[in-house]
Amino acid sequence: MATRPGQARLTPLSWAALSLAALIMVAPLLWTLLLSLKHNADLVGHSGAALHPPYTLENYGAIFGNSLTLRWLLNSTIVALGQTAGVLILASLAGYAFARLDFPLRRTLFVIVLLGLAVPSQAVILVQHQLFAWLHLHNSYPGLILPGLVAPFGVFFMTTYMRGIPAELDEAAMLDGASRWTIFWKIIVPLTLPAQSTLAVFTFLGAWNDYWWPLISATKSNMYTLTVGLAAAQMNYAQTSGLGYLMAQAVFASVPIFIVYIVFQKQIVRAMAGAAVR
Amino acid sequence: MKRIGAALLMALSLGSCAKPDHRTHLYLQRFFGECGAEYGGSTDVAKAEGECGIITALVNRFNAENPDIHIDVNVVAWPGYPQLTAQVAARDPPDLVTMHEGVISDYALKGLLEPVDGYLKMGGVNEGDFTDAARAGVTINGHAYGLPWDTHGGLFHVNTALFAKAGLMRGGKPVLPTTADELISQARQFEQRTGKPYLIQSNVGDTAYAARNLYTYMMAQGAVLFPDAHHIKLNTPIGVQVATFFKRLNTERLGTLNMDTPAAIAAFINGEGGIYPTGTWMIGSFQQEATTPGRPLYKSYAVFPYPRLWGEHVEYVSGHSWVVPTRKRTPQQRAAIARFFRFMAAHNFDWTRTGHIPAFKSVLADPRFASLPHRADIAPLAEIGRPVPSTIQRQNAIEGIVGEEAVAAFTGQKSIERALSEAERRVDDLLAEID
Repeated sequence: MATRPGQARLTPLSWAALSLAALIMVAPLLWTLLLSLKHNADLVGHSGAALHPPYTLENYGAIFGNSLTLRWLLNSTIVALGQTAGVLILASLAGYAFARLDFPLRRTLFVIVLLGLAVPSQAVILVQHQLFAWLHLHNSYPGLILPGLVAPFGVFFMTTYMRGIPAELDEAAMLDGASRWTIFWKIIVPLTLPAQSTLAVFTFLGAWNDYWWPLISATKSNMYTLTVGLAAAQMNYAQTSGLGYLMAQAVFASVPIFIVYIVFQKQIVRAMAGAAVR
Repeated sequence: MKRIGAALLMALSLGSCAKPDHRTHLYLQRFFGECGAEYGGSTDVAKAEGECGIITALVNRFNAENPDIHIDVNVVAWPGYPQLTAQVAARDPPDLVTMHEGVISDYALKGLLEPVDGYLKMGGVNEGDFTDAARAGVTINGHAYGLPWDTHGGLFHVNTALFAKAGLMRGGKPVLPTTADELISQARQFEQRTGKPYLIQSNVGDTAYAARNLYTYMMAQGAVLFPDAHHIKLNTPIGVQVATFFKRLNTERLGTLNMDTPAAIAAFINGEGGIYPTGTWMIGSFQQEATTPGRPLYKSYAVFPYPRLWGEHVEYVSGHSWVVPTRKRTPQQRAAIARFFRFMAAHNFDWTRTGHIPAFKSVLADPRFASLPHRADIAPLAEIGRPVPSTIQRQNAIEGIVGEEAVAAFTGQKSIERALSEAERRVDDLLAEID
């Protein structure tokens, strides 16, 4: 087999080791899928029953039979997309300001933003909840989206990335009479697209998987996100008497994430490798 | 564009023509899961199965029988207390909530729950009909803070086929021990004759199991677990005696050691041990196995309350209840809550099909209840059941701490004295944080 330029040729040993590692990674996912295709009653005594037929789609039918499931899916999509869009806009604007503009207390403000990275969300949850109660924002999309827009990592990430773009580009544009906004929108933003997509993926995944804030902010079932809704739909001892349904929920909740991974595979790998930050 | 605008206008005007809703709305929040796919439109309570099915059908039926009231249901992830606390903090709590009786004190003593005596009176629910266990579970300082809905606690689920093989059946009934020493000798006999452990135990990740054992057999010997609202007393001669007994069972390998709840359930279903001490809520699943030909438990299942091993025959129990969080309500809403209580009290029998013990004496005496499988055998739990005193707050957290330390003592991970004294210190620290 021909090796593409830049691609290392695998030795049989490496190939075997990687295959084994891949198998170990994939096995729990396959196990989850198989369990989700079995009757709950078949799994109570012996979960090994998942390895042989008969299989059924009844657990998926039960998920879709709940009239609110699609609503929860919609809620999660709105919240995740809303947070992603908001974080990209705010982090890009803040990143540009910190990277390019000279204004009083710039360094101090940047340090304050970075300090935000050290504050766990649990430490501010009570105050945050009270604030949103005063604003009557619980059980609303703004209530679910706004806290996620506080993204010190995004600001830091975009600042660092924009600092790596040569300042000469801005200067040349200014000589041509471009405004600050034009420079930002027409020159800087297109050059930061790899970083934007990386940040978008991480923000989307974080928002999609979030459980804690939606659990206490969205207390009415029509405003649940998918994570909270699926948890609410579980019966006591779901891990024993409802194992198939539990696994079907896991598969169902992870499908959108799986799609995001497939579509943005390149960006995720690049981000993991640290290549997105110059 | 004009067409789109006209369509939007028409949609808006149609929307504004919606029928005015004159019904009284109550906002009910519960756990027990969501099963709208199967029971979303069902009002036939008798045909519903399982906690989720029965409660869903009951609420549907209430709505159908009371056209002037509508219950809006909100299903929360078990147990739902983080959400309830958040709702209380946001001053928007529901009207009716399912609550474990051990949790009532956390809210009631802060004034976050209404006493329900007035609702019970208005709804014609006779408090005198509450079982002793149910009344103790919902009463604080002389007031009922909830409509008791059931009593649940530990039971000895028995594999009678293995008991027969072990020579421990008399007159078609399993022979359960009457003293601690008798339990050890029966367990040895069982292990010798069947080659299987006498007890299947969920010692891993199930703190309730160990706490239930310790509480039950300390209470049986008259121990006062909570001398006051801020202290627990476990490191006593009685506590050491009970812990030593369970440690002895484990040391002699008469019970399984490294199982979590799903593993223990699977082991019992597959006939891998004699007794699985777990709750009332498993009766339905085990009975299903016992009536399915070809299964290891087929025609081989019996169930009883924990046996008396020392002192008095009492058992630690808890229960589910319906509580009313404090908030402004209209007289119509108050009347609707009273009607809901009357309806639920009248349907307490339906709920007992889940395996839980009735909260009402009249249901205990109801021939329909006695005719359900095994109910005659487990009914005494309503009489011998003892909850933790209702003035003690943070009972769930306390049970978790006591369970962790008790497991450590029972399995030999810590010395008994150390585990019990650490449980005392940790619980006292927790209770000291309460005003």
